Amino acid sequence: MVIIQLKPHNLTSMANINIDAAKASTYDVIVIGSGISGGWAAKEFTEKGLKTLVLERGRDVQHIKDYPTTNKYPFEFEHRGELSLAVKTENPIVSRCYAFKEDAMHFMVKDKEHPYVQEKPFDWIRGYQVGGKSLLWARQTQRWSDFDFEGPQRDEFAVDWPIRYKDIAPWYSYVEKFAGISGNNDGLPELPDGEFLPAYPLNAAEDYFRKVMKDKYRNRHVISARCAHLSKPQQVHFDQGRAKCQNRTLCQRGCPFGGYFSSNASTLPWAARTGKLTLQPDAVVESILYDHQKGKATGVRVVNRLTKEVREYFAKVIFVNAGALNTNLILLNSRSERFPQGLGNDNGLMGKYVAFHNYSARITAEYDGLKQFATDGRNPAGGGYIPRFRNVLQQETNFKRGYAAGLYASRYMYRDDSAIGTTLKNNLLKGELGPWIVSSHMMGETIPKESNYVNLSSRKDDWGVPLLNIAIEYDQNDALMKQDYISQLTEMFSEAGFKKITPNTNSQNPGLDIHEMGGVRMGHDPQTSLLNQWNQLHACKNVFVTDGGCMTSTSTQNPSLTYMALTARAADYAVKALSKGELT
Amino acid sequence: MERRIVIKQIMIMAAGMALLPSCLREEGQASIALQNMPISLVEEKVLAEITETLIPATDSPGAKALNLHLFVLKMVDDCYTKAEQDEFKKGLGKVDELSQALFSQRFSDLPRNQRENLLTDIQEQRHDSPSIAAFYKIMKAETIKGYLNSKYVMTKLVIWELVPGRYNGYYPVKTT
Repeated sequence: MVIIQLKPHNLTSMANINIDAAKASTYDVIVIGSGISGGWAAKEFTEKGLKTLVLERGRDVQHIKDYPTTNKYPFEFEHRGELSLAVKTENPIVSRCYAFKEDAMHFMVKDKEHPYVQEKPFDWIRGYQVGGKSLLWARQTQRWSDFDFEGPQRDEFAVDWPIRYKDIAPWYSYVEKFAGISGNNDGLPELPDGEFLPAYPLNAAEDYFRKVMKDKYRNRHVISARCAHLSKPQQVHFDQGRAKCQNRTLCQRGCPFGGYFSSNASTLPWAARTGKLTLQPDAVVESILYDHQKGKATGVRVVNRLTKEVREYFAKVIFVNAGALNTNLILLNSRSERFPQGLGNDNGLMGKYVAFHNYSARITAEYDGLKQFATDGRNPAGGGYIPRFRNVLQQETNFKRGYAAGLYASRYMYRDDSAIGTTLKNNLLKGELGPWIVSSHMMGETIPKESNYVNLSSRKDDWGVPLLNIAIEYDQNDALMKQDYISQLTEMFSEAGFKKITPNTNSQNPGLDIHEMGGVRMGHDPQTSLLNQWNQLHACKNVFVTDGGCMTSTSTQNPSLTYMALTARAADYAVKALSKGELT
Repeated sequence: MERRIVIKQIMIMAAGMALLPSCLREEGQASIALQNMPISLVEEKVLAEITETLIPATDSPGAKALNLHLFVLKMVDDCYTKAEQDEFKKGLGKVDELSQALFSQRFSDLPRNQRENLLTDIQEQRHDSPSIAAFYKIMKAETIKGYLNSKYVMTKLVIWELVPGRYNGYYPVKTT
């Protein structure tokens, strides 16, 4: 970054320098955030020749070079992967996240670094660095269908989505081909097929369960989990500098092969090669600037994370991809005479109708059969996936919507540790394969409600930005759905002859699912929504939101693939609008 | 034992020691820096013998050669609560006291079979001491963790692959 020092010798030179400074700070597009959706915005705009500035609040993380733990063996970690008591005590929130371990904790926000206000308990898990959480995600990628897009309208909650499957289908194809998604074309209307690389096959026990479900039920399908891993890379992936996934399943450390999709391995280096990208790390966006005369946003105000220096950048189009809740925060904090409640927030609904995924139940069992098989190597897809089977064609339960489920089986090596001395040593080294352990977890749709919201607190952080206040909780629908998941999975496991079926409903706070969505929802009507069918703010057309903030409802699918597709679609629209002279 | 293997093992030991510098320690203190649970060199040596009794050197290195006693100390020092650390330290001292009371010898001076018998009795909780029981439970769990996660075991005995490059969900195995 060029730091322009203003040394006013006289008024004329001062004015010239100011003009130069404005030019140096002016781009065609500003993208706020470099995570999974911001990376896509960067790729799309730079590829189409637009001068693009990507602002990332965290530090730079370059592919491979900045993955310090990626090639470490377990014995190279001080505590063999475990967290020290001091780290756990200092970080009660992020310590609850499964990925917060010795090998990846440097990619996650520590509790004290970025506090927030919990009006209700909410575990906000964040990754403030170039690439954001795309380095850490669980890489599960499924398309939505019209059963999902039509959900709010059919079941009378939230507002109607302004788009349908046909609007986004070509964009799913577009992003799948580039990102590299492995999976099977399973022919299920509730989980549309896509542009897939070969799937990672189900293992013996998962496959057995699939067959039992097919025989016993009409609509309960166990399929290979679809995931953003290069099972068989194509030329477009080699062109990105990526290679075949090596089944390490150490993805949270960053992958030196680029075996899974991340902004760092894929979209950002691709954008950089166009020569049109300026990537600015350590840039905390305080607000978006609005010009009342022009009736549009003109740029952003940024606080340097390290020096606290304040700068402004200008562009014709602004994409807000700061991560769902931070996108809400930035927009709410962008107040002007025209928008006293936050940019585009004429109806006062911004920050409301936030929802998430209900991951608060899992179930485990043993299967005594198929002992002639085990697994060898590791499955980056994690195992199987059961698409939503409740309330798909019509309402049939005492709760709205439904849940998808993960399904995975493995055989553990049991090591008898009861003895002492040489016997103990021999037993530990020998080990014995145990039975198949089959597990599942629920991924439930939650209903967006006005009472689940975020807003700005009166406290400010070190950069002068208000702390986000979060008030989000489960409801009765979530509780009923959770009971149904347990009873249905118990029945399904029983049908398969599994034993020792053990449900686990230990409640986790909302947020730990890391699928927070909404607050700046899409809709037809400016009275009841914030964004239109192109992800533009109804009331400020050159500002787009294409991260989780835009979601009208949550469905049950992992959301990232939909963010990618919405981003590419909106960027395409924005470029066409610009070329027609709109937006300026 | 073959000279080559001995040299290899010495190198592994040396590598382990290099991670845990002892040159700046006060005399009488444990050979590694501990933040929360001060341990004397004498206590460290008793712990080394206890872990070696659990996992002895055979045709492959045992606990002492793999510095598992130092791993146990590091884990207890960093990952356990103050109360657990206190119990651990107290229990460690009491094992030696118990040895003196039963055999009039320090644990380190006992022949191997007596050491094994004493640890078996402790494991079976035949001695009514909550701190010995607490010490033993932590010590055994961490020694085993340290052993299975040691470089020697992970690269030579139970191989851990950094880059498997494959997945077979129908891998044939013998049924017993």
